Amino acid sequence: MTATTAILLAGCAGASPATTESTPVAGGTLTYATGFGEPTCLDPHVGGNMPQALLGTNVLESLFSQDADGAIVPWLATAGTPSADGLSWDITLRDDVTFTDGTPFDAEAVKANVEHMKDPATASSTAILALGKVADVEVVDPTTARFVLSEPDSALLESLAQTWLAMESPAGLTRSQEENCEAPIGTGPFTVESWTKQDNVTLVRNESYNSSPTGAAHEGTAYLDKIVWRFIPDPATRFAALQAGQVDVIDEMQPDNVVTATSSEDLAVLQGALPGASIRLELNSGYAPFDDERVRKAFIASADVNPGIESLFFGTVERSYSVLSTSTPYGASYEDDFAIDVDKANTLLDEAGWTTRDADGYRTKDGQRLTVDFPISTNQSIPAEQSLFEQIQATTKEVGFDVQLHPLDLSSWYASLAAWDFGVTSAIYTKNSADVLRILYDSANIQPAPSGYHPNHSHVDIPELDELLTKAGQTTDADERAAAYADAQKILSDGAYVLPLYDHLQKIGYRTSVQGLSLLPTLQLPYLADAWVQ
Amino acid sequence: MAQWVAIGVLALLLLAAVLPGVLAPGDPLAIDPAQAFLSPRWGHPFGTDESGRDIYTRVVHGAAPSLVIGVAATAIGILLALVLGLAAALGGRVVDFGVSRLLEVLFAFPGLLLALLVITVYGPGIVTSTIAVGLATAPGYARIIRSQTRSVASAPYIEAAVVLGRSRGRILVQHILPNAVVPVFVLVTLGVGQAIVWAAALSYLGLGAEPPAAEWGAMLFAGKNYLATAWWMTFFPGLAIVLSAVAATVLGRALQRRGPR
Repeated sequence: MTATTAILLAGCAGASPATTESTPVAGGTLTYATGFGEPTCLDPHVGGNMPQALLGTNVLESLFSQDADGAIVPWLATAGTPSADGLSWDITLRDDVTFTDGTPFDAEAVKANVEHMKDPATASSTAILALGKVADVEVVDPTTARFVLSEPDSALLESLAQTWLAMESPAGLTRSQEENCEAPIGTGPFTVESWTKQDNVTLVRNESYNSSPTGAAHEGTAYLDKIVWRFIPDPATRFAALQAGQVDVIDEMQPDNVVTATSSEDLAVLQGALPGASIRLELNSGYAPFDDERVRKAFIASADVNPGIESLFFGTVERSYSVLSTSTPYGASYEDDFAIDVDKANTLLDEAGWTTRDADGYRTKDGQRLTVDFPISTNQSIPAEQSLFEQIQATTKEVGFDVQLHPLDLSSWYASLAAWDFGVTSAIYTKNSADVLRILYDSANIQPAPSGYHPNHSHVDIPELDELLTKAGQTTDADERAAAYADAQKILSDGAYVLPLYDHLQKIGYRTSVQGLSLLPTLQLPYLADAWVQ
Repeated sequence: MAQWVAIGVLALLLLAAVLPGVLAPGDPLAIDPAQAFLSPRWGHPFGTDESGRDIYTRVVHGAAPSLVIGVAATAIGILLALVLGLAAALGGRVVDFGVSRLLEVLFAFPGLLLALLVITVYGPGIVTSTIAVGLATAPGYARIIRSQTRSVASAPYIEAAVVLGRSRGRILVQHILPNAVVPVFVLVTLGVGQAIVWAAALSYLGLGAEPPAAEWGAMLFAGKNYLATAWWMTFFPGLAIVLSAVAATVLGRALQRRGPR
């Protein structure tokens, strides 16, 4: 089931971009303030995170895109056809697109890009994982690139649609990494004019733009002359800047600000669920105390999150019972596995041997307290989410868990994950395919990547699950794929490895003077080529 | 008049720190999501926070960590300052030169920055932030103790004691210490107020108390995200910080005026 992508909140002072009656006007500057942080490199091949994808979407374009239903549609490529054995794909390309430095876009360029992403010197983490099964790219003719695979990959075209795998000018890629990071060269509606570190990136219109994606409101060059891309990390400051009119668009809105904006004449909100995994708690099943399934089940049966989700998020998010985001196909919900049952939790903990309680009411076994360390990335978890974790701490305390919250900066958080020094943590992973399950729960990904990051935080190590995820990633039969993913998710749910919370929402706030703003469905990122300011 | 109000505030603070249950019998960590974001009202005189916790109860229970950090940090600062100040004043020219230069280097850093440095190295938490604030306040006290000790050491009655053949240790303990250090205790009262503010600042930055501890600075931090919609989440813990810091300062000034010199 594929859910709708861009949900516009009801009652937004009639600012739906689709139904607006005013005529687009060219010219003007739009100021965008992001809360995702400032990239260290603007080339999304390098590393590969959300700040890069957000900015990159305006400058770089991909071979494929997705429509509002999640179906793959052509973009810089015109079609992708697999061989009978699924071990090679012929991807045909548009012959009329040119990079903004004048280099033509062709099969040689595609080959150069894939080589750049796979080159260890590039230090990619997202693109290189997505291209894991791509062995080589052969140039068949100028408009045909053949992707040779080591094993069938049913998610190849989805992978290629992501901004982290966008096409850059081969001439640009031959520059030093430092230069390419400053201003990557693509085929997109804007080009990077300048980057003032810790302040802003300025983008200007690409005057020869001719490759609008499917679903764009208009073809050809963008309306805006210029985009000033600012970095305002504090959410309250960001929203105040939007209210004051200092900026036109912000992202990462706080739930209470969403409510304020929707009831304001001057402001509106654009929401969409990021694809990939839902925001969820990962229980570290590799180490005590969560190496005991009964203890995991007791935690899930006592972590009462629904009342908190309702009050902290002001009705802006819905509780999820699926490991996958609603905008990702093949998500399965097993709501009954997450019912709150304090009696059951107590019984399970008794059975697991945590029978005694100390003076503070925490359970103990052999003199050891039932302590669960919970590192929180303050960069990834918004304040409302951190408050929700405090509520989980309070409700699980009733059955005897001593949950210790540790708010950490991003690098300390990564370090505690890398050392397996945690009982439970909250994680996000954005990927536009159910293949994200293989990245997160295949036992191979317990081993850290060269960057030290191991995506399988739950330490799930089940051969049967590995088999299902491999099969789902290889088959081209949609029914077989759906069945394998459903079975895989049931295994995760039965074993109580994960507590899903809600979708990771892209929450864009904008002034109603901004028209034509939309989210590009692939990764639910704001698309500014159709936007104009009144 | 003002000092009596200050003493009253500090007495209340002390009561809240020692017997919080008397002023607020509830549990400062008890959540009730259905009662989140309530404005001040009967039953919740200071309103409730984002998880439905009673802010009045949390402000009362927050007195203990704030006061303990304030007093303990100042104690650490004074003890360290005593050692450094006395060593500089009485240890001869070489020691004086070394200690004085060290103090000047420490002075070059703003106090809070010094505290941040300590926390960066040793990790956040209540104990570290107490020590950090203590270390950061030490140079100021040390300098005062040094100059005070030097002026006392050259006073005629010390010369008299030396002439009378008293031992060095006895002169130090009986004559120099009381006269050099007593004035510092006035500064301590002022210092406690400042230490409370600094400790709250560190918790506000997420470097002190860990959530969901009832601590004023941490409560301010949680509340600032809802400044536009729930002012009471920041107002009341903020008021508690201001009141205790002002009370300690007023009392300190009053003592200063009546002090031995």
